[in-house]
Amino acid sequence: MSDEPYLDALDLCRHYRRGPHVVRALDGVSLAIRRGEYIGVVGSSGSGKTTLLNLLAGLDTPTSGALKFSGRSFTSMSRRELASYRAHNVGMIFQSFNLISHYSALQNVETALLFNNTSPEKRRRLSTAMLEQLGLADRLAHRPADLSGGEQQRVAVARAIVKNPEILFADEPTGNLDYENALQISSLMTGLNRNGLTIVLVTHNLELAQQQSHRTIRMQYGHLVADEAVHRPGEPGT
Amino acid sequence: MNFRDLVVISTGNLRRMKLRTLLTSAGVLIAIAAFVSMLSFGAGSQQNIEQQFNKLGLFTTMHVYPKDGSKNSDSSSSPRLDKEAIERISSIPGVNLVYPYDAFSVNVSLGDTIVQSKAQALSSVAFQTKIFSTLLAGSSFTSDTSREAIISDELLKKAHIDTPKTAIGKSVVISVKVSTIDSGLTHIFVDKGESLFDRAKRIDIDSLFKKAYRSRILRSEANEVARRFVNGFMNAQEVISDTLTICGVRESRRMGRTRIEPVIIPFETAQRFKTGGLGGSPMEIMAAITSGTLFSEQDRLEGQNFSQVTLDFDPKVPYTRIKDTVEGMGYRTFSFAAEFEEVQKVFLYFDMALGLIGLIALSTASLGIVNTMVMSINERRREIGILKSLGAYETDIRALFLVESGAIGFLGTTAGIAFGWIITRVASAIAKHFMEKEGIPAVDLFAMPLWLIGIAVTVGVGVSVVAGLYPAARAARVDPVAALRNE
Repeated sequence: MSDEPYLDALDLCRHYRRGPHVVRALDGVSLAIRRGEYIGVVGSSGSGKTTLLNLLAGLDTPTSGALKFSGRSFTSMSRRELASYRAHNVGMIFQSFNLISHYSALQNVETALLFNNTSPEKRRRLSTAMLEQLGLADRLAHRPADLSGGEQQRVAVARAIVKNPEILFADEPTGNLDYENALQISSLMTGLNRNGLTIVLVTHNLELAQQQSHRTIRMQYGHLVADEAVHRPGEPGT
Repeated sequence: MNFRDLVVISTGNLRRMKLRTLLTSAGVLIAIAAFVSMLSFGAGSQQNIEQQFNKLGLFTTMHVYPKDGSKNSDSSSSPRLDKEAIERISSIPGVNLVYPYDAFSVNVSLGDTIVQSKAQALSSVAFQTKIFSTLLAGSSFTSDTSREAIISDELLKKAHIDTPKTAIGKSVVISVKVSTIDSGLTHIFVDKGESLFDRAKRIDIDSLFKKAYRSRILRSEANEVARRFVNGFMNAQEVISDTLTICGVRESRRMGRTRIEPVIIPFETAQRFKTGGLGGSPMEIMAAITSGTLFSEQDRLEGQNFSQVTLDFDPKVPYTRIKDTVEGMGYRTFSFAAEFEEVQKVFLYFDMALGLIGLIALSTASLGIVNTMVMSINERRREIGILKSLGAYETDIRALFLVESGAIGFLGTTAGIAFGWIITRVASAIAKHFMEKEGIPAVDLFAMPLWLIGIAVTVGVGVSVVAGLYPAARAARVDPVAALRNE
């Protein structure tokens, strides 16, 4: 793990206007994420976990506060540069998989490589290899509707990591899965982190977060209420 | 995302929504078919005129007239269009040849048929031009003095000869009746058996001293002298005839201002029909009276003015140069090239009007595209959100939807051109059928040149892409966070 923060959020706010009311989805969150870290963001529904993840992924823009990626401020980046950041550096996994329903598993994975100048041939080769690696070799031509929940999430993971991102944002990746599949996805993510991938896992399951991550961040009503390192027996520093 | 990816993804999306795509394209198809059919009519008409002009060499033909429009112009006000003028015009650089229009009334006796017609004296050099060189049968004159004639197929039909070839080598008797001053003068002295002397005998010499009687006698006798002269001039005409051999048959057709008479006689051969006196035409007599050459036959023949002279010029020389030179000599001109430029302007406005009607239909179809694309965006908000989360930039999303609307337009346009072509073929076949039925030479009223196909594709795809601009901009503005939250 590097000491230099890969993503650095300072006093991050995201407020929405809902008629006459202002919803403070995120209110003054400061957070530093280092390369190779596995961070679990936990909290109840509406605590601002997903908002934080969207901001970190460059999908949303903060109302105020600073957010830096490799020392470069998000506010100084154009929308095109933010899109490029997502295309090259970021992988995302969603609770509802968010696969394109009319694409095959292979096409869904290939889509992740459409925006980072990968040639069609390389897209096909990398995506096929990734799906094979995740045990979906016989499911390449299947559409999401023909796949089980676990298979769909594995396709989503393949899509997220096929471009070899620097950071993976996972928003409740096991929320819609049964125990077996959830375990499979969790161990898959642990393996990816062991290989150096920085992961931010958003979950309402504190136990899962503590099992998986190096560090848990607890959110409540848009505030960061706890930022704790996880110490597991047998691991260095325990 | 490169253009290939855009096309692959867009066409994939359109294939997925087959019915919607086909119905939207059908709107474009109908509009483009109407657009193409209408412009095809304009193009066909223009092409027909251009082909006819080219076929007859009219682009290199110019008519020259005396400035005041009178055949017998006064040299003080406007130069004469006579042999000398022809020589001067011939010497203009770029002018290939010049020939006058010189026509007179004749009786044509062909087999058992005698018909009144018009003949034209024409120099053999005129057969070098496309106007005269195309013959249905036979060939042009061997020389300007040959005893030959070229007649029209219409005249042949009057003589019950339906096949032009069979007329070649046949004899035709051309005759003209001419009035002479001599016969008019002779009739003053003797008319209907009564001599001038007989009339004088009836006058009471003594009574001539009475003023009233004298006035009456003088008036009646003067009137009688004039009546006798006119009777003699008009009735006692001399007939000049000659037997010529038909060497060629030409199609009788109108060629705008280029007058071609049913009988064409070599220029020098034709002169003998004009040496006996004035032709029977009252117009010719009137012209002779007003020009003061009624009693001066020699003057009339030597100083012959032509009402029109035609010149053929080198196609490499701009017609305006020849026109300016001839007009600088004091003549009026008529050029088919200038006329065609005017015709082209009219066709441009005509095409624009037709195109506008087509565009109105196309704008209606474009609303269908807007509707389809907006529906598609609403249905695919989540997909747009996913693409943005994967790194798609706004221009990628915009391009994706623009290519989709363009593809709908291209599909509709291609089918529309094909459908429009079928419409024009059917309409052309019907028109030809009626033309043939009416005895009019059948021409293709429609044409589908490459430029028309190019314009149709550009307009069809262009309008479709423009119709896709608003939906594409809307798609590009989709907030990925909101789109993904919808799920």
